[in-house]
Amino acid sequence: MGSTNALPRIRDKVRDGEPLSLEDGVALFAHRNLLEVGALANDVRERLHGDRTYFNRNLHINATNVCEASCRFCSFARLEAGDPGAYTMSHAEAWGKLQARLDAKDPITEIHIVNGLHPGLAFDYYTELLAGLKRLQPSIHLKAFTAVELHYFAKKYGMTYAEVIARLRAAGLDSIPGGGAEIFAARVRKKICDDKCTGDEWLEVHRTAHRLGLRSNCTMLYGTIETVEERVDHMLQLRALQAETGGFQTFIPLAFHPDNNALMKLPGPTGVEDLRTYAVARLLLDNIPHIKAYWIMLGVKTAQSALWFGADDLDGTVQEERIYHMAGAETPQIMSPTEIVRIIQNAGRAPVERDTLYNVLAEGDALVSDKPFRRDVRRRGLEVVS
Amino acid sequence: MSAGAGLDPTGATPAPATAATPVEDLFSLGRRANALRDAALGRRGTFARARRLLATSAWRGPRDASVSYVEAADLAALGGWAAARDAGATTLVGADLATLKHAAGARLVARVPFRGGESEQTRVARLRALVGADLSLWGVIPTPEGEPYGLDTVRFTAVCRLELPAATHVVAEVETLGPRLAQMCFGFGADDLFAQIMSERALRLGDNANNPVLTRKEAVTLIRGAGLVAAERLVNDVLEDALEEVT
Repeated sequence: MGSTNALPRIRDKVRDGEPLSLEDGVALFAHRNLLEVGALANDVRERLHGDRTYFNRNLHINATNVCEASCRFCSFARLEAGDPGAYTMSHAEAWGKLQARLDAKDPITEIHIVNGLHPGLAFDYYTELLAGLKRLQPSIHLKAFTAVELHYFAKKYGMTYAEVIARLRAAGLDSIPGGGAEIFAARVRKKICDDKCTGDEWLEVHRTAHRLGLRSNCTMLYGTIETVEERVDHMLQLRALQAETGGFQTFIPLAFHPDNNALMKLPGPTGVEDLRTYAVARLLLDNIPHIKAYWIMLGVKTAQSALWFGADDLDGTVQEERIYHMAGAETPQIMSPTEIVRIIQNAGRAPVERDTLYNVLAEGDALVSDKPFRRDVRRRGLEVVS
Repeated sequence: MSAGAGLDPTGATPAPATAATPVEDLFSLGRRANALRDAALGRRGTFARARRLLATSAWRGPRDASVSYVEAADLAALGGWAAARDAGATTLVGADLATLKHAAGARLVARVPFRGGESEQTRVARLRALVGADLSLWGVIPTPEGEPYGLDTVRFTAVCRLELPAATHVVAEVETLGPRLAQMCFGFGADDLFAQIMSERALRLGDNANNPVLTRKEAVTLIRGAGLVAAERLVNDVLEDALEEVT
């Protein structure tokens, strides 16, 4: 079988630091022995990070699930305000999520904000949302609005991507999450999310953000109707943009959850498929520093296992995640730092608390969950490209 | 059920681990376990439509099941193994060695407990105690005490394969591990998937988020996705390769 024969060649390329091709990626997906692919990815992971495994303390705010898009894989969105289950938080409600953490002396370093594409909100809703959070905690890092949202803002409010990002940045935006990429292939987008931005537009939003000095993450939704060639092509497009800008921090493969949406007849990815996808991602994306096993979506057990199949990050403590729980995610909605540390240590890895930009806040003996973490860290920014 | 009582080594000094050492690399351990499985049982993953005799004397599972089993923890309420056998049970699943030993005529499947924080030597000693009990086991089910860690589970699955006689089946149980982790165990020496197989299952949402039921198609998909040939165990252990499903 060709894919089996391809492994020694791929191993040589990985050893020599040569980027893998589309053909290599497809061969890795087709290789019958998961352990061989996993071991190779683990070599790369350990070469880059050793045993270090990152996490942060964060809070998710999904301020509204009213959404103009009708993505078939989504269980979160409600198409119109007033539909059963539809909600839009007032600013006070959203700010209250952070205030509650401050009152509880349960510190966080990041708020992750992702929403539906609400047709009835003014742009000021978003800028004031950010500004209010910064007023409560000026040091908080706001990772907010996917490229899909930013593209929607540009169209709806008549601005360029750069103008949207600049105004949000002035209100407190610090970086951009990686969601909404799904699969770039037009064939797939037409079938599962044909009324949101194209793959090229998604990439252009991130390119613009990187040029303005913002870092971002990137994702891939796998396990719907895409082929392995389309997965590999997606990752190679991300790698190409990273070669151009260097702005991506971490790649997050997102496993499709089939319950409670229009694609519920699909089986969804299995545990072995999850691990293989993580391993192939680590091998293909040689210029993106981190691969994140998002425990909310993968489940804690699979996410922990992924730490030996290419992943070096578990995301954070999270809280109140709604998007994947409405799609049947079986995970809790929050984990304490102590639990995350224990999971990482049980995997034989070394936990490292980070901030959003991967500055190290605590590791080793300093990693005690009830002690305040360091705040005197240097923030790494991207160079602004004029 | 209390999975730990019978299989914990009682005071004996554990033999030094040679088949599986604590420092052995995860991938090396998995490769050895898979090679042993493939040599002894073929590169095949099996599943069966099973029904369970409950403590209430009712059956849970399809009427035409090929496996009828009872958990050892339910035997007291049922009046012992003989009563369970008379009711139709053919397989006894449990952790207590004495109970397994005295179940005349039963096919025996031992639950082997493991928990986070214990050393691999402790686990190896537990398995060697099981081998030393001379029970003619059909198979073992690695059974976590509490919520299992993923890597702990796959490592222990591999250790079970390496420490037990070659023909012993190593069973991945969906109810305790979840379908994702149960499937991963097939990459570390497991050869049998233990789940309630139904023609349809409810969505995994809300209170039902951890619904352990699988459809036959899901069982086949999990086994094939792990790179093995999927086969259903019919009555009298006749294996029928699943050919018709498309994943």
